[in-house]
Amino acid sequence: MSLDHAAKQAASEKAKKSGFTFSQHMNELSLFFAIAVLYVIFASTAPGFMSFNNQVNILRDAATIGIAAWAVTLIIIAGEIDVSVGPMVAFISVELAFLLQWGVPTPAAFVLAIALGALLGAVSGVLRAYFDVPSFVATLGMWSALRGTALFVTDALPVSIGRNDMLDALDRSVLGIPPAAIIMLVLFAVFAFVSRKTAFGRSVFAIGGNAHAAFLSGIRVSRIRVALFAIGGAMAAISGILLVSRLGSGNATAANGLEFDVIAAVVVGGTALSGGRGSMLGTLLGVLVITLIGNGLVLLGINPFFQQVVRGMIIVIAVLANIQAIKRSLSRNKG
Amino acid sequence: MTTVSEIGQAAVPAVASLKGCTRRYPGVLALDSATFDVAPGEVRALLGKNGAGKSTLIRMLTGAEIPDSGTVLIDGAELTHTGSGRAQESFEKGVRVVYQELSLVPGMTLAENLFLGRWPRKGGVIQYAAMEAEASEAMARLGLDLPPDRLVAGLSPAERQLLEIARAMLGKPKLVILDEPTSSLAAAEAEKVMAAVTRVAAQGIAVIYVSHRMNEIRQIAHSATIMRDGRIIDTVDVKGADTREIVRLMLGSEASQAPVLEDRSLSETVLEVKDLAVWPKLASISFSLKKGEVLGIAGLLGSGRTELLQAIMGVRRFDAGDIRADGKSVKSAGYKEMVRRGFGYTPESRKEEGIVPLLGVDENTLSTNFAGVSTNGVLSASRMAEATRKIIERLHIKTARTDTPIGTLSGGNQQKVVIGRWVYAGSRVMLLDEPTRGVDIEAKAQIYAIIRQLAAEGRSVIFVSSEIEELPLVCDRVLVLRDGALQEEFKSPNIDQDSLMAACITGH
Repeated sequence: MSLDHAAKQAASEKAKKSGFTFSQHMNELSLFFAIAVLYVIFASTAPGFMSFNNQVNILRDAATIGIAAWAVTLIIIAGEIDVSVGPMVAFISVELAFLLQWGVPTPAAFVLAIALGALLGAVSGVLRAYFDVPSFVATLGMWSALRGTALFVTDALPVSIGRNDMLDALDRSVLGIPPAAIIMLVLFAVFAFVSRKTAFGRSVFAIGGNAHAAFLSGIRVSRIRVALFAIGGAMAAISGILLVSRLGSGNATAANGLEFDVIAAVVVGGTALSGGRGSMLGTLLGVLVITLIGNGLVLLGINPFFQQVVRGMIIVIAVLANIQAIKRSLSRNKG
Repeated sequence: MTTVSEIGQAAVPAVASLKGCTRRYPGVLALDSATFDVAPGEVRALLGKNGAGKSTLIRMLTGAEIPDSGTVLIDGAELTHTGSGRAQESFEKGVRVVYQELSLVPGMTLAENLFLGRWPRKGGVIQYAAMEAEASEAMARLGLDLPPDRLVAGLSPAERQLLEIARAMLGKPKLVILDEPTSSLAAAEAEKVMAAVTRVAAQGIAVIYVSHRMNEIRQIAHSATIMRDGRIIDTVDVKGADTREIVRLMLGSEASQAPVLEDRSLSETVLEVKDLAVWPKLASISFSLKKGEVLGIAGLLGSGRTELLQAIMGVRRFDAGDIRADGKSVKSAGYKEMVRRGFGYTPESRKEEGIVPLLGVDENTLSTNFAGVSTNGVLSASRMAEATRKIIERLHIKTARTDTPIGTLSGGNQQKVVIGRWVYAGSRVMLLDEPTRGVDIEAKAQIYAIIRQLAAEGRSVIFVSSEIEELPLVCDRVLVLRDGALQEEFKSPNIDQDSLMAACITGH
């Protein structure tokens, strides 16, 4: 930090005695605004956008991205990245389908699916934490190997599970709301609490903000890194289970490109790719932005190839606007 | 305060002691049978040049290093661990260090940083209310009145330093060691830190205060221990000690006959700085640089030396005054423009800003002007090798090949490449910020010779250094930077080390 900058801060320190600064919440406020704008635009141009059914669809789509995004937010705050989400979801869906075909009781199959997801995530985590493999490379390897394994063992064909009451229940709406959305929101509450109020969550911020200082203050940096990727795997596994309940089969080709939607949602949500800064609320709003764009563009009947162009542009513009807003409010604060 | 000082002098058992500690590194005696005591409530200044053994002494106390012979006692008991547990043992006995490089997490709150990794918690949930109450109290004890839920990112450097000290104060320490805590602060900010140090000592905690600023030391320290060449030379009462006496102890009495340099500087002025202000570090700086002159700038760490060079180079904006290169104002010139006008700058931190370690000597040298060795934008390997070889020969750089990665070279040879880059670029005015830092003695002498040679060719050099003894060896003229202004001027051959050092460390 430059010294003149610092001195200016000192000069204005009396002006900012409160712990709550507008800049700390600028990111969330601008995202609320973006969502409101998207709603106004799509409500007035896209037929059926505001219908109850479509709103439920938005929630269900949001769950697919959101559940994985909660964990990825923590991973990115810790200064890491996980690109293996999509293949992990597909792989777990296939694995779950096979377990059920073999007659494993459904609850046990669920537990095994989540445990396997956590274990595979932990492999990436161990590679990162103890062998210094960059997490991008570790999870890229996972990305390729998991998709490949799933395609290899299924020949890219769906693995059907037959009739399963428990999985059917997971796809049956409660008071009009899909269980996937409820699970997403419950997990959101858990992650928001963990990230803000627990020693584990704050350690994640400390590692992303200054890993050396975190290490010196006794935080178990390596263990937390492994735990983060294990959690990432477990969340992807939950998404995989929900996918099976929705499709009625395990599917090696499913969740294609999901990792990019997840990372886009986290980044749009204001989490810094360099680590140390981010929030769960930001990611929730980011997930909504990404989902709304996808949903609205489909309803508008835009050419699916061109949709990708629009989506890409909107994501970059959203992040750009966010960075500008934060910069401006910070400079105003420092004065 | 007097009572505290009396406690310091009385027969109170020492909080920390070294008894005949010796530590030898390959080729260096870092600590030579040092015996050292510090009493509760005492503020002890620790003085000495770079490499005098201050850091080794501190590492003995913190248990980061084990003496080859001799013992370390903390609170009356000897440190017994001989492995990595020693640091923990020393910590548990109450030794805390605040280093220069800060260890805070900017994106977290003051309270979270204060208790980093040791947050008070119940079942993994952090007890924010209790933690913030305790944080407020801990900060108030040092005169830091800030809301504990504010982010560290918004703090001034002095406030960050105070937060570090507050962190060191947690858990009832016996001894707090501060390593140049004010070096990066402007004078007004430093006052806050010093006030906090006085408060720390008033609580009966011993403080070791590493600093070179005599006015600070006089203000807060009871006594000063002076080190030189790994030995503890003397411990003096600061109130009675004369600055020149302390300087003599720091530098020793080795013959410091300055060489007679051949002054080749011409009457033509290449650079004129007038009433330059870079707030808050530099208030009013005026000097001129002649063609063929080597001008030394002496000053302590944090005195604004780097800011001055950066302002001249257009890297840092200045708040007032004027800089003229060859009679033309450079007020709106940026870095590129200054390079075009024949200025070259080698930064202080060679590793971070000076070199690209994995690229070859050739690319590191030629990066100032790739166009000179390329045709239509395509680099020519033979011309690159030829141009690099010229620089290698001129500056006596030791490297196996022209494309050897520069990171594998010794510090001295890396520095020669960094200087050579501007020789290749044809710079007429070179601003060298601590060009001999981290360089062995032989390479230092070579760098001095190179600088003299460059001057003899009619180039002008500004040579910034905190190593007082090297300035008379290379400079035609030395200006002393202190308290934001140039305080004194020395002209070769009358550049006397003792006077120079005294001028650097004396207060207002």
